[in-house]
Amino acid sequence: MAGPTSDLPEAAQRRLTSGAFSSGLSVSDFAACLEMGLEPVGLVQGFCAMQVANYAMGGYTMGGFAQGMTPAGAQGGYVQNYQCPHGMISAEHRMWGQNYQQTWIESAWRDGFNSAYRRMIEEAQALGAHGVLGVVDSVAPLSDTGVVEYHLTGTAVTILDGPAATSDVWSTYLAGQRLAKVFEAGYAPVSIIAAVASIRVWASCVTEYLMEGTNFGWSNTGEPTEIDQIVSAQTNARDIARARARANLHGDALHGASLEVATREFSRGDLQIESRLRGNRIRRFKDFDPLAVPKPTVRLS
Amino acid sequence: MSERAPAAPIDLKAEVRRAFAPNANAANDAGATTSDLSIDEELNLHSIGWEPVELVSGVSLFSIPYGSWNWGQGEIATASVAHERAFRGAITRLHHEAARAGGHGVVGVHIERVVHATHVEVALVGTAVRPVGAKTISFDAVFVSDLSARDFTLLMIAGWEPLGLATGASFVFAPRRSMGTVLQQQTQNVELTNFTEAMYSARESAMERMQRAALDLHGTGVVEVKVVEGPTRFAMHAVGFVAWGTVVRLAKAEHQMIQPMMVVPLNDAKVDFDAATLA
Amino acid sequence: MSNSTNDLPQATEHRLEELEKGLFTSDLSVNEFLLIKEVGFHPVGFVMGSSIYHTGIQARKWSQSQELTKLTEAMYNARELAMTRMEEEAAELGADGVVGVRLDVNYYEWGKDAAEFIAVGTAVKAEDGVSRLNKAGKPFTSDLSGQDFWTLSQTGYAPQGLVMGTCVYHIAHRGLGQTLSTTGQNVELPNFTQALYEARELAMTRMQDEANELGASGIVGVRLEEKSHQWGSHTIEFLAIGTAVTKSAEDVTLTKPVTIISLDN
Repeated sequence: MAGPTSDLPEAAQRRLTSGAFSSGLSVSDFAACLEMGLEPVGLVQGFCAMQVANYAMGGYTMGGFAQGMTPAGAQGGYVQNYQCPHGMISAEHRMWGQNYQQTWIESAWRDGFNSAYRRMIEEAQALGAHGVLGVVDSVAPLSDTGVVEYHLTGTAVTILDGPAATSDVWSTYLAGQRLAKVFEAGYAPVSIIAAVASIRVWASCVTEYLMEGTNFGWSNTGEPTEIDQIVSAQTNARDIARARARANLHGDALHGASLEVATREFSRGDLQIESRLRGNRIRRFKDFDPLAVPKPTVRLS
Repeated sequence: MSERAPAAPIDLKAEVRRAFAPNANAANDAGATTSDLSIDEELNLHSIGWEPVELVSGVSLFSIPYGSWNWGQGEIATASVAHERAFRGAITRLHHEAARAGGHGVVGVHIERVVHATHVEVALVGTAVRPVGAKTISFDAVFVSDLSARDFTLLMIAGWEPLGLATGASFVFAPRRSMGTVLQQQTQNVELTNFTEAMYSARESAMERMQRAALDLHGTGVVEVKVVEGPTRFAMHAVGFVAWGTVVRLAKAEHQMIQPMMVVPLNDAKVDFDAATLA
Repeated sequence: MSNSTNDLPQATEHRLEELEKGLFTSDLSVNEFLLIKEVGFHPVGFVMGSSIYHTGIQARKWSQSQELTKLTEAMYNARELAMTRMEEEAAELGADGVVGVRLDVNYYEWGKDAAEFIAVGTAVKAEDGVSRLNKAGKPFTSDLSGQDFWTLSQTGYAPQGLVMGTCVYHIAHRGLGQTLSTTGQNVELPNFTQALYEARELAMTRMQDEANELGASGIVGVRLEEKSHQWGSHTIEFLAIGTAVTKSAEDVTLTKPVTIISLDN
């Protein structure tokens, strides 16, 4: 994980070796840090700009991958084919449809995010920190150039009277009282986790007609019908992101996760679905010891 | 509101140091659970002996046949049916995922519900939970609810258990052209009884369907009912009424009083000045 | 409208029947549900009443500040109809009262002259079987939340009904000469002041009258809302609304609340 420190821009070296710390923590978060015996030593950040092959709107001009020969298929990713059940109708009638995982987009995302993360951790190591809390991440496209920026910031902290800092810097999105309660509950943060799945849907004829609400007799009898192809794509988008996150847990727990799914429709039934799962990997250091049942109160304000 | 009862004071700094000591490992590990609950919600669950198991989701889309929104009268049955089936489909998938993960229920379900002109889309995400160490149960015994983990805890303490989500929807044509004519002929400010009845019926239908779903789950009550109503984005003359809530039933012999304490917080309320309000 | 002793539509009958058989529905949050139970009430059913009312017609003089009595009447009647139907649903369920009442006005695509007035709430019943109907013999209504209902009970007071006073007022347009003569100065506008003063007083007096009719000793949670609805900026409806209460128990000693400082931000 730790790369050569020459990866960081020269300006960063200067900032990190100056005396006073800066941090993105609010006053109460800062107070909570001190309560936990964590001393903020600096604001750290990592940044990476990636060129992605077909990230811009418009999509891959594939003109139709033959079934089963998509890159995703070749790598064992999710691919699902949908044959037209109608037989030859017209030149405009779609012969087949396909859902496939856009593994090249996913690996670009992984590389960009991991690079930015690695650089943030390097800055923390340069400060001799034990961990980074209050991480804020942003992934944003840079106008229409097909470039995506990954930016992570956090507050590096050292543990007062703790063991010497190692190269194993922990990280978490949490800060403040939330983080304090995590420790009190017997958990230690290990690292932030972010996983992405990107699925492309090329609608089959049935899907296209259902999405248009057509009632020519091709699609349905006038009854509401489940749109299987898209349900399958949406379900897999979520499943793949979760499976990926779980693979990075190595027996620890994912806490305070958030699953966001964005769907972009290029034309009727042709979609790109991106799901993003982010959370905190935490590990138990103390046996499970539940609190007493909380006492309910009514607040007079 | 719930605040933690003061337990034996914890030395937080010592705990943090201990967390990162070289051989810090608990006898029972965290067990690869995934959850979107906050730490407060997790602590609430733990206090009644439940634990989060896995982040689960369920999605469904149902088409609405072409021409359903063209101007007509009365209920738009196809839209109501599509809505109901999409919801049901998503909930069923959530049940299956939760049961597979060993959960007994799903709490804090975030409901994303979009009605397009051509289809209804429902996406649900929540955390499957179970009593600590409990065995897997069959998927149809799992409950699903949009109650937060905290509300779930409160209900359980009071002796109630959630059974599932009940929903009801009804889409109707708002009387439009006929309304315009009538309005022109009006010289008095009076009630427009025909139209009142049409909207009234639609609202009642949605609620009634929700109730029937609750009875199907053998519940005695529905709490946190939410009613969303208004014209659809794409067809102003079509109005939708959707109601949903969590079905509950007494699990203990009788309701347990919670006997809350009155508190007066000494924090000053945060006051935000907004330039617009000074006008 | 249809059937029996009340004028609720047919569709309501089915729904209320299910509620009478023992299923309860409520839009109370879990907190409110538990607090209602604490003071000996049980939710019975989600109740609602609505009315689509034509509210456009009233001649007004451009240069005169006056109450638009026909519009006042219309707004009042429309809300009354909605509330009455909601109360009828509650009475049908054998409820003692309705809490968490919300009054809304919806404008739909049919234009600005008609609106739908809706009243919704959760009907509740006292578990000790003692009737809590108000002086008018109807279930009490209140827009108090579950928390406020609980707190009110601790003080020994009980809600009697939601009381409202409304006044639709037209504010005279200032003549061009008047406007020009005061341009650029800080000056009180007597037209506006007088009009708004009078309108608010009318609304509040009417609200108090309703409370007196219910034999109340006071009104809590009073709000004054001002809306132009769809009439343009010189016509404003002033709505004063609150919950009328009476003392229900002998002197109660309130337990002293605990003071806390929350560490959460």
